[in-house]
Amino acid sequence: MELPSISQLLFVLFGAMALGCAVAMVAQRNPLYSAISLVGVFVSLACLYLTLQAPFIAAVQVIVYAGAIMVLVVFVIMLLNVEEEVRRPVRLHYLIPVGVLLAAILVGEAAFMLSLGSGGAARVTPMAPAASDIGLTASIGTGMFTKYLLPFEVTSVLILMALVGAISLARQGRTPLLAAPGNVSEEPAALTAGGELALKPGDTAATGRAFARQQLERGEAAAPSRAASEEDEG
Amino acid sequence: MDWLSNQIGPDWARAVGQLVGINVGFVVVLMIVAYTVLAERRVLGFLQGRLGPNRVGPGGLFQPFADLLKFIFKEEITPAASTRFIYFLAPIIAITAALMPIIVYPFGPEVSLPFVGKFHLVIARFDIALLYVLGITSVGVYGVALAGWSSNSKYSLMGGLRAAAQMISYELSLGLSLVGVVLISGTLDLYSIVEQQGGWFGLRWNLWDVTRVPQVVGFVTYLISAIAETNRVPFDLPEAETELVAGFHTEYSALKFALFFMAEYVNMFTVSMLATTLFLGGWQGPFVDVFPWIGIVWFLLKVTFFLFLYIWLRGTLPRFRFDQLMSFGWKFLLPVAILNVILTATVLYFRWS
Repeated sequence: MELPSISQLLFVLFGAMALGCAVAMVAQRNPLYSAISLVGVFVSLACLYLTLQAPFIAAVQVIVYAGAIMVLVVFVIMLLNVEEEVRRPVRLHYLIPVGVLLAAILVGEAAFMLSLGSGGAARVTPMAPAASDIGLTASIGTGMFTKYLLPFEVTSVLILMALVGAISLARQGRTPLLAAPGNVSEEPAALTAGGELALKPGDTAATGRAFARQQLERGEAAAPSRAASEEDEG
Repeated sequence: MDWLSNQIGPDWARAVGQLVGINVGFVVVLMIVAYTVLAERRVLGFLQGRLGPNRVGPGGLFQPFADLLKFIFKEEITPAASTRFIYFLAPIIAITAALMPIIVYPFGPEVSLPFVGKFHLVIARFDIALLYVLGITSVGVYGVALAGWSSNSKYSLMGGLRAAAQMISYELSLGLSLVGVVLISGTLDLYSIVEQQGGWFGLRWNLWDVTRVPQVVGFVTYLISAIAETNRVPFDLPEAETELVAGFHTEYSALKFALFFMAEYVNMFTVSMLATTLFLGGWQGPFVDVFPWIGIVWFLLKVTFFLFLYIWLRGTLPRFRFDQLMSFGWKFLLPVAILNVILTATVLYFRWS
């Protein structure tokens, strides 16, 4: 009995799934549906990596993209309760023929490669199944910490910079709520006997600043940025 | 096996064998889960000075089946304003993500059976087993988060958001607490990790293996983050019934609710299996080398210990406040887990050099 090999079947299955999810992601109007379709794309791509003898990349794909980044995207969509987008008339008309042309070139290229048959495809030596251990965790780790150490470290520093930048951007808008030397110019509102701030209905900026000063004195808040405090003065 | 592989080729024969293994594994796990629910109700009853369900069958033994029948025949209610597709998709994601990791856990050593020959008692064994578990766990967040959003109810949404935030936060310390074990084992394959814990009359577990680096800190941080990751007391904020009715599954009824319920207990079970495998030596124990099948008993005993711990905690501890939960996860658990990694790596470095 002649059956197609399992990896061929899986490749077709997950390839179709990836394509379907990708089309759905672009076509959906509800942003949450698009996000879920994108998760589908990532998961089926991970399965494709598995059939291509690259288990580590597959796992990282799922953990980082599907499990971390897209969860945050879904989280934000849920928090903001984004509405369905409204279809607007296309404004950049000249892009449509360009897109069609590029798509035609891509399809033609693929067809050309396939039609070459033995002459074309054979030039690309296919990876022997299971003979290669390039995709295994140990070989990737060894490569990353010996041969590619510098790129690895530089990338880490880059990501760290992005992290610090994002945090400082996020903090700037909220600084008036936190303690800032420039903010705390007025007398603090009355403190109760226990040293707690007494909040009354109608308390506004002054109370907030007093609270901020309290935070600063107790060492609960970090130093603020100068720009935001100046903005508060003006 | 030989006959089958002559008929359809070795690849397909292996696939058929694994499919059979997966199905048997799912049935067994679901049965264990059903009885975990019963055990939880009986033990909670004991802890609280009452009886718990003991009417159906001897000592309440058939209670899970009665529960199942009830779930099946309940009325299915779909909220009118819900996002229907996602509302139905969410419980499917939850239960799928809960069941998928069970295939990688080794539950016994190499055994032999007549007609089949020698084989390892593990359904699937591959290079990235541990990463696979972590990946599937991280996808499981979607089930809860989407359930909360699609129900179109404030309580559900709050529960879903809390669950998403909590699970992302504790996933970090969960993953980092396992790095210590990976460092001393040098592999991500769970079967090899268990095999390396052999010796000392079957008690050379990673938890206290002083010839390598004892992973006590890793074990404790793993246990705490695992409880948070499965949304159990004292970290059950996503379904805190005094604040959120029932959290993300408020609007779910009948079998769809049953799926969430099962997913929670399957998650408890898999998390316990991972703790057993990585820290308590998996199926290793006395007399395993004499009589291999006893490995299954040791494995299940250790898992049962963790399941009991879960129930015990539920009967004992009050719930965290949400900001306490967040600051505990980020400001205490994560640094401690990182410290454990650094410590283990340092000791290993000086031992090797």
